[in-house]
Amino acid sequence: MSAAAPECRQARLHIGADPHHLPADIAAHVEGCAACRRFRDETLSLDGRLHAALDLPLTHFRRTAVVHTRRFALAASVVLALTMLGFWLLRPASALAGEVVAHVEEEADSWNSHENLPAEQVAGIMRTAGAQFDSPYPVVYGYPCPFKGHRVAHLVVRTPTGMMTVMLIPHEHVRRRTEFARDGMSGLLLPAGEGSVALLTRDGAIADSMADEIVSRVHW
Amino acid sequence: MNAASRGTTVAGAFTRLLEMLRPDLLRFAYWLARDRQVAEDVVQETLIRAWKSRDELKDPAAARPWLFTIVRREHARLFERKRLPTVDVDEVEALGDPALATDDAALLDLRRAIMQLPDEYREPLVLQVLGGLSTAEIGVELKLTQAAVLTRLFRARNRLRTIYGLEPVEDVE
Repeated sequence: MSAAAPECRQARLHIGADPHHLPADIAAHVEGCAACRRFRDETLSLDGRLHAALDLPLTHFRRTAVVHTRRFALAASVVLALTMLGFWLLRPASALAGEVVAHVEEEADSWNSHENLPAEQVAGIMRTAGAQFDSPYPVVYGYPCPFKGHRVAHLVVRTPTGMMTVMLIPHEHVRRRTEFARDGMSGLLLPAGEGSVALLTRDGAIADSMADEIVSRVHW
Repeated sequence: MNAASRGTTVAGAFTRLLEMLRPDLLRFAYWLARDRQVAEDVVQETLIRAWKSRDELKDPAAARPWLFTIVRREHARLFERKRLPTVDVDEVEALGDPALATDDAALLDLRRAIMQLPDEYREPLVLQVLGGLSTAEIGVELKLTQAAVLTRLFRARNRLRTIYGLEPVEDVE
């Protein structure tokens, strides 16, 4: 790329440093600048590969650390019956909905992506997030995001009615289907096996048939 | 529930938390040390230290950055204590480590390129992409200003762009 204008250099510093979390002024510049937009899309694509590269299989590593950890646990424990997960299961779905909305708002730029992600990149995100999802719609944004102490698949798919965020949350169970609306967004929390799926749009209510179709394609 | 039962429950939950995060701790330690055995030793020490200090972790959601910090400290401590030589990644041995192996040739090239990044670029990149730390958290962790963190992350990615088949962009000051 040739020498860039000062505002483009500033935008590229931020994009190159943290492409998923751009300050508002930088994000606004990127939307109006084709070259910076291309740079952002390239960098997001590179980041998917970077994640896959860093996410080494551990088949060549020893397992001794876990053995020792178990020994500590046994020494300290008489009964290992209840888990923190069990505590979290009892939390109201509304709290989870709030955290989903807060997370999506932090990555507001995610709804501005339009290019379909390569299947290989989506597969890498799923591996990292410990989920399987055969999306019925094109995936235009994806990242294995830190969420409540875990990695979860944060996707945006292009549905016939608009962009929709799909978060696959294997570590948070919800007991029943819960609708919510916050900050101009409509959402659904849905049970999916031992975990849950969060759907979020800015385009009105989510059709039941669409939600059911998505959940049916999620496996942990 | 009495105090003993509560303590047992918390201990069990903490153990499960360590088990869940151990794979990423091992990966982080490996990218830090670029040596499998050192990484395994570092994680072993990290788990012991984390277990002893578990009362310091008030919020389970903060476990990841907390444990990554311990990995960094244990890595530094190990090198200090054993006076280990730093790994020279120009050596064929490190780049031929089976831990990096994959059927995807382009991914292997990227892993090797990450191995060859200078520490000052590789470490913040791994903390961000693998650890999920924000740039502010990385600044605290590495004792760097926010601007310095942004510059290092930018340069790390800029070096890796060519491996990914992209043209590098103008450096930032």
